[in-house]
Amino acid sequence: MKRILLLSLIMFRASGHDVITTKVTFDREIIRLFNTHCISCHQSGGQAFSLTTYQEARPWAKAIGEEVLRRRMPPWGAVKGFGDFRNDQGLTPEQLELIVDWEEGGAPEGEPSDIPQQVERPPELQFSRPADELVISGDTKLTRTLVLGALWPANIPDGASFQTTAELPDGRVYPLIWLHDYKMKFNHPFLLRGPLQLPAGTLVRGVPPAAKMGLIPAADVPPPPKPKGGQLPQSTAHAE
Amino acid sequence: MNTSRRSFLTATAGALVGSRLLAQGLVYQCPMDPDVRSNVEGVCPRCGMKLRAGIPEPIEFPMDLKVTPPAVKVGEEAQIEFSVLDPENGKLIQHFQIVHEKLFHMFVISQDLQYFVHDHPTFGPDGRFRYEITFPKPGLYRILGDFYPDGATPQLIAKTIIVHGESQPIPSLNRDYSTKDAGNMQVSLETDPAEAIAGSKTIMFFKLNPAEGLEKYIGAWGHMLAASDDLIDLIHTHPFIADGGPNMQFNVYFPRPRTYRVWVQFQRKGVVNTAYFDIPAHELG
Repeated sequence: MKRILLLSLIMFRASGHDVITTKVTFDREIIRLFNTHCISCHQSGGQAFSLTTYQEARPWAKAIGEEVLRRRMPPWGAVKGFGDFRNDQGLTPEQLELIVDWEEGGAPEGEPSDIPQQVERPPELQFSRPADELVISGDTKLTRTLVLGALWPANIPDGASFQTTAELPDGRVYPLIWLHDYKMKFNHPFLLRGPLQLPAGTLVRGVPPAAKMGLIPAADVPPPPKPKGGQLPQSTAHAE
Repeated sequence: MNTSRRSFLTATAGALVGSRLLAQGLVYQCPMDPDVRSNVEGVCPRCGMKLRAGIPEPIEFPMDLKVTPPAVKVGEEAQIEFSVLDPENGKLIQHFQIVHEKLFHMFVISQDLQYFVHDHPTFGPDGRFRYEITFPKPGLYRILGDFYPDGATPQLIAKTIIVHGESQPIPSLNRDYSTKDAGNMQVSLETDPAEAIAGSKTIMFFKLNPAEGLEKYIGAWGHMLAASDDLIDLIHTHPFIADGGPNMQFNVYFPRPRTYRVWVQFQRKGVVNTAYFDIPAHELG
């Protein structure tokens, strides 16, 4: 019985692309999501296959749905909403829903007139590990005040998941970062959206003894890019 | 036409209530001041330029969360303050669409999945949302904010609050599809497939008994919040099919092969019925 059920499920999935059951389209919603979360790597000449056009992305639709649901892509490496990062590339539940609905609904292309005219790619982060980075393993009590600006995994066992918190002497507990199924091959810094004052005596808890986590002072972190102005991040819209 | 996914839901109260998965309508934005957005046509209050119609970017709006007192203690009243910020420039967002009768829906779930709150913080004149809460036990709480900034896309933003003290045990959930006695009715569940598959659609059929006197609760026939046992996945949705009768259908994609606790809420004769079920999502094959 279970096998029949699974088989019918597979058949549904295999044939589902023949029928369009969604209003979410590549040209309208999906390309905008890909532009902000995927194409920094998934572009022609990039680190991975290109997803910049419908023709390139369509064959990967099913795999994209699976990868984003499993949180393997984008390879942000941390659970959203635990800590607050200005370079967060993880997808929100709404964004996940858009991609899954598009894929399950037949992955339609949509109207080419909906494609954004200009793609604003975020500038490459120019940042290297500073000399005064504090690299910790295991629970660590700070001996002096640290104004934290970023966390940067230095050496994490492949696939490790753990929560790191900061317990301040006055009883405050800040969630710092929750690495999940972490892969060092996608290593990158996690830039706090605002600096975090951690006084001496703060216990940074949760980094396994086998892992190394870099704590970066805020003074070493590049400032956020200046706000955009004068440009509308939109397409040549058409009336519905 | 300016039809949002959620306003569509509110508008279609017939048999097919619809999913939240409908395409966005147009929004209007100032060419000079990109943080000036609207769901209706008009001019920019700052520079006077005509707002330009466009397809909304499905971008995330940062949400600041402030707890007072900062060293929150078990059993003591605390205040959570939510500030939604513009992703363009970090300015406070002060204009929101009403979704299901409210500007802001909030869920709070404890790490052991025993504490569940679905409520609506108060919108202050300063543009921030506030909610008074007393945390019943130490440990981690996941907070989910559901809101819809004007001229943007609907947002579901998760945050975390940690209350000092011994952390709660990670729950070990077993499959629980048993019929629940809620406030003033029974809630039964069947799913198709009978065993949910991670990454595939699970159709959840709820049967309410008695259903006579069923009412909409906060603008919908039902509300659902699903959380993975590790609290990484948080899903908020409403019925795909509902007509005020005893049968209600929700469609959900459980992202990963974990067990999910699924809370549902229905209102009958003024009483809000909250029940939960534990649904393992299996690997395909």
